[in-house]
Amino acid sequence: MAMNLDRRSLLLAASGAAALPLLGLGSRVAFGADGEIIVRIEKDISNLDPANRVGSVEGNIITSVCQTLARFKPGTTLEWEPEAAKTITQVSETEIAFELNPGQMFTGGYGELTAEDVKFSYERFKPSDDGKKVAYADDWAALDHVEVTGKYTGRILFKNPAPAIFAIGICDGSGGLVSKKATTELGDKIATTLVGSGPYLIKEWKPNDHLTLEVNPDYKGNAPAPYQRIILKPIPEWQTSLLAFQAKEIAFTEIEPTVVAEIEKDPDSAVIKIDGIDYEWVGINVEKPPFDNLKVRQAIRYGIDVDAIIAGAWSGTVTRAKTLLAPTLLGHWADAPVYPYDPAKAKALLAEAGVSDLKCTLTCLNDARTQAEAQIIQANLAEAGVTVTINALDPGAYWDLGTPDKSKDLELTIIPYSAKTDPGFQTQWFVSSQVTIWNWQRWKNPEFDKLHAEAGSITDPAERAKKYIRMQQLLDESASCIWITHGVHDFAHAKSLAPAILPNGTDWQYRFFKPA
Amino acid sequence: MPAFASYIAQRLAAALLTLAGAIMFLFVIIQFVPGDMISILLGPRATPELRADFAQRMGFDRSIPEQIWLFFGRAVTGDLGTDVISNRKILDMILEVLPNTLQLASAGLLISLVLGIALGCIAALKPGSVLDTILGVTSVAFITTPAFVIAIFLLLIFSIQLHWLPVTGAGDPGNPLDRLSHIILPATALSIGWIGYLARLIRASLLEVMSEQHVRMMRAYGVPEGRIVRHFALRLALVPMIAVMGIGIGDMISNAVFVEIIFARPGIGTLIYSAILNRNYPVVQAGILFTVITYITANLLVDLLNAVLDPRIARSLKQAA
Repeated sequence: MAMNLDRRSLLLAASGAAALPLLGLGSRVAFGADGEIIVRIEKDISNLDPANRVGSVEGNIITSVCQTLARFKPGTTLEWEPEAAKTITQVSETEIAFELNPGQMFTGGYGELTAEDVKFSYERFKPSDDGKKVAYADDWAALDHVEVTGKYTGRILFKNPAPAIFAIGICDGSGGLVSKKATTELGDKIATTLVGSGPYLIKEWKPNDHLTLEVNPDYKGNAPAPYQRIILKPIPEWQTSLLAFQAKEIAFTEIEPTVVAEIEKDPDSAVIKIDGIDYEWVGINVEKPPFDNLKVRQAIRYGIDVDAIIAGAWSGTVTRAKTLLAPTLLGHWADAPVYPYDPAKAKALLAEAGVSDLKCTLTCLNDARTQAEAQIIQANLAEAGVTVTINALDPGAYWDLGTPDKSKDLELTIIPYSAKTDPGFQTQWFVSSQVTIWNWQRWKNPEFDKLHAEAGSITDPAERAKKYIRMQQLLDESASCIWITHGVHDFAHAKSLAPAILPNGTDWQYRFFKPA
Repeated sequence: MPAFASYIAQRLAAALLTLAGAIMFLFVIIQFVPGDMISILLGPRATPELRADFAQRMGFDRSIPEQIWLFFGRAVTGDLGTDVISNRKILDMILEVLPNTLQLASAGLLISLVLGIALGCIAALKPGSVLDTILGVTSVAFITTPAFVIAIFLLLIFSIQLHWLPVTGAGDPGNPLDRLSHIILPATALSIGWIGYLARLIRASLLEVMSEQHVRMMRAYGVPEGRIVRHFALRLALVPMIAVMGIGIGDMISNAVFVEIIFARPGIGTLIYSAILNRNYPVVQAGILFTVITYITANLLVDLLNAVLDPRIARSLKQAA
């Protein structure tokens, strides 16, 4: 049969075909309704395995789906309370004993949570026989082994004292208790199939669209989730998340400090502001001449107007940092000196060092705020006779500077790092062994290294604080770091919702999100 | 071999060559992009063992020709590998989001065609008039305004101020009206530039056809102007438009990247974008493979359509035979 194809029928067919997709096939998005909220996450999940998770997006899901032996109390303190454990006791500096509540069931029919599962969950972080380590192995670096003493009881034994183990191990994502049977059976699928015994389970995951947490009907713990469903929606662009919040499509999102006033005008919305514990600074490479001269580094420190950076690039929404550890952290150096902007003094110091017509490169990330900071620094240092060239890099190229020895040619660098609540997490990047990797100042100090090791293996908070303060003094004497800010975390939320956020601003306790 | 079959065979061969060239080019340029996936993903936790393991699982421990050969070898069997981060099949990741992008591009195309042709006809029927001038200025404004700027304005007006249409997502697949409400703004943002371009193209083409002898003869026989346009002139004027639609579809798909990001809409654009930020090259390569296939297929169809619709091509094929 011959086909009679004329232009009209072709055009009609083409138009029809183009219209067909509008009839709809594909993915789903959920709007808020009774008993459920929609929360913005900055990116989709990548790996939900507690030992190989990528960041806080996954960590917050893990601590909702998995129980931990102990959990952080809701709100803004970092005190902990037992969760899966009936009791958890620090027996000595190197031993913690626990007893589980009986009858706590894993989802998916994977049976009861027992001490064997605790042993499996923690010992997964130890290097395997062939030397391979999981991504978060360092969180349990002090672990020797877990001894199972009964169906529900056991002892966690450490090679050396681990003062931060509750903060970064037991209560955090690395402490998520997984089913030994499920993890063994699922293999690599654990990356997207999390089996836990917590208040929520993962009901649905539509990649790049949403992930739904739903109340776990088998949860036997002492803190049932207030919402039936929490829908996590990945929205990478913060402007889009702001628009979605203003359109009342989402109930909770982190926002830029500059839009706080705009949100506060809306009677149905509220803002939570949490002073950050992160740390942003200008690092000076002490190996690169003329920055190997202390006077030159001191000159740069006097030549940068940190207050102007706060006012200009941050619109005055954050406070100035004067040292590495934020005021809320153990070991904060309250008496740290604040160096005023003094271009004349900077010039004098450069003259003393015999340096004139100094030209250097300032490397930074290419986001708008960091580039604004770089431009302010460029203008400041020009006043002191220093010509700065800005080298703004995309995140991929920037963080690649952590590849061994790629940082050796850096001169000045604006560096933003995330913090954890244990000070040892922050100080670890400044030790000598990090010089070719993440210590971009390339500053080495044996006393600093010794203090870092000592502070990480004693449990007396006062003694630890003294050591961390001394470490910050050494950093200050080196003039290799010019502290800018600890940042701030601002969150917009519907007034009908009371979110629960830990002090670092990145750990959100979905299980404690409740109606206001 | 009949001329038309030979023509199709030639076009298919060219399409396959283009596909191979695009993928090889992609492999080469990736070598020049600074920053590696392992540093970005694992950060300070990237131990030498983890780095080596990631490199091996991603195939980066092999030479570039070897990587290209393996990629093509696997791709023809439908195996695009496994994402080392999520341990999911890359093909599954792409097939999950591809329909969303195709729906968006198709809807954008439909809007461009309907409005572009309509505005072009209106302008051509009143050449030199105030209306023609206004449409001309508007069309140029549409062409020169980037899709993401249009997207922001549309969101501010229709989502924030009027609360008529949603900001994010692709809608509930079981609810066609919800799907429709989620596609209107992104598709409009995507189509604006092409509305302007098609309007100018149709106007010029229609004016040329309307000045030809057979049209003047119809006028002389008293055929109404509207009937001449609808039944005779527009058919001929549409032929050059079909030729550019191949490029149009490619443009729609590439612009869909920005639009999908702004509207937080799952699609091939957002998948490639997040993979690029993570330097997750296996996902980037697979995503671009599908984009190139879509683009080449669209161009192939347009070429074939042109051969059917344009008598000059049909004549040249007959002569060649």
